[in-house]
Amino acid sequence: MTMLPEELLKKLQGHAEYFPRKEQAILLCLHEVQDHYGHLPEFALKEVAKILDLPLNHIEDVVSFYDMFDRGLPARHRVRVCVSVVCNLMKSQRVLTALKELLGISIGEVTKDGKFKLVGVQCIGACSEAPCFMVDEDLYKFESKEKLNEILSRYT
Amino acid sequence: MKSYLVIPEIYAETALNLLLKRAKKPKVHTIEDYLKDGGYQALEKALNMEPTEIIDWVDKSQLRGRGGAGFPTGRKWKFAVQNPAPRYLICNADESEPGTFKDRILMERDPHLLIEGMIISSYAIGAHQAFVYIRGEYPIAYHILRSAIEEAKERGFLGKNILGSGFDLDIYVARGAGAYICGEESALIESLEGKRGFPRIKPPFPVQYGLFGRPTVVNNVETLCNIPLIVGMGWEEYRYIGPSDYSGPKLFPVSGKVKKPGVYELPMNTTLREVIFKYAGGTLGNKKVKAVFSGALDCFSAEELDTPMDYSPFGFGGTGTVIVLTEEDDIVQACLWVAEFYAHESCGQCTPCRVGTHEQAYLLEKILHHHAEERDWEGFDFVNSHIQPTSICGLGAVAGRLIRQSMQKFPEDWERYKRV
Repeated sequence: MTMLPEELLKKLQGHAEYFPRKEQAILLCLHEVQDHYGHLPEFALKEVAKILDLPLNHIEDVVSFYDMFDRGLPARHRVRVCVSVVCNLMKSQRVLTALKELLGISIGEVTKDGKFKLVGVQCIGACSEAPCFMVDEDLYKFESKEKLNEILSRYT
Repeated sequence: MKSYLVIPEIYAETALNLLLKRAKKPKVHTIEDYLKDGGYQALEKALNMEPTEIIDWVDKSQLRGRGGAGFPTGRKWKFAVQNPAPRYLICNADESEPGTFKDRILMERDPHLLIEGMIISSYAIGAHQAFVYIRGEYPIAYHILRSAIEEAKERGFLGKNILGSGFDLDIYVARGAGAYICGEESALIESLEGKRGFPRIKPPFPVQYGLFGRPTVVNNVETLCNIPLIVGMGWEEYRYIGPSDYSGPKLFPVSGKVKKPGVYELPMNTTLREVIFKYAGGTLGNKKVKAVFSGALDCFSAEELDTPMDYSPFGFGGTGTVIVLTEEDDIVQACLWVAEFYAHESCGQCTPCRVGTHEQAYLLEKILHHHAEERDWEGFDFVNSHIQPTSICGLGAVAGRLIRQSMQKFPEDWERYKRV
């Protein structure tokens, strides 16, 4: 018996069959689980281990290595703010200050309603748009606090 | 329209109209767009050539790897085919160096150029399975490539018996998850095998012992996008692009304090000064250039603006990343950001790098806050001289390079932070 919803399970099985070898799908599966739950819950990791025929400790080993994977509190959306050289030069501190004022959170924290988590990233590869940030899969250039507020309100 | 088709409006300009012929426009070019523009003709031509002839052409074209190291691509392929099949091709799309955003626009806007390059390259080295490893922060590029590969399959450019040639190839797209180190080829291979991205000890090099222990060629996105150009126009004509020793188009992502940040496609006999002033519109507020960082690797001073953007020992080299700092910017502060980048991205496999990169960032923070004593300055040199020789991969080897260069080139800036 699996504890995962049918739809997610199907996606994971699809990933497991995609590559020449099953274990190669581990990162795709973990992304999928995290997108679904907003973090990586233990029971889902066990299911991924079963699907990929890997020991749970191998899954944990991989999860702890990669920055994007999150074992902390769940959040529906992830706001990734670039804190690397170029964005810093272009005053990415403004983005963090605005987010602190709008959502009341600093890097690594989740809003009380579990809607947003703020993450600091080393370069998101859009330096011409600096200072920039991502909300889930979408990339934005920071313009003003008002514009940022408007962007955040699009996410439910 | 699905949300992932919204791609970032990064500014792009080309003086050559080759790599960015289509990608200069912020639009996803479908297979119809690509075919209309003469796409996949180089593939047809290549499939009528002998694989060894293609390798020979790439070798003669003098194409060098665009991922940073500048290793001659033809030579890499020659090494790989000396080893027995099965072989693999991997496209390194884990572009994560600060200031680098050139590969993303190729993948997002012109995915079929990359796919065509990968098919020709796989045919040349005799690979029947190829992989693209895209960094986790580029989800849009991942979706675009996945659907572009489906388009190519439907038209018979991928899969079994490509265009009736008897050559089979499948391309798989993998995603990273936020580890800079996975741009290092052996770490990338480990990650693609479903493990932690720890670099391997070399030799053996990936061309001998790569993915699943098989000979593997790892090439950067931009490198592979050059292959259809070389096969299409022939190596003789390709050699006429740019200076004689460093032929071919090159992408330069320009960012920081310039008026027109973006990606520029230029020949490699362009100088750094031309990139900043002729193409990127000069500095913001017409301030004086203080320094240029090539990613997190090298530091150039204002006296070095006539550096050619090529791979010669005194050239700009690397990925071509240009980050412009003006007189308003504090070089010591910028070095701290670089140090923080290395501290964050050290994979932790080699202890001197894991500990030393954090130590380096800590010491720089002390210096920046005027808390550093004489022994801290010495400590900086000590840490630095120990990370470099004790690291398995290149990250440790260059972790202190930019900072040390900046100390040599801007002594007065650093002097200000010395306690009297």
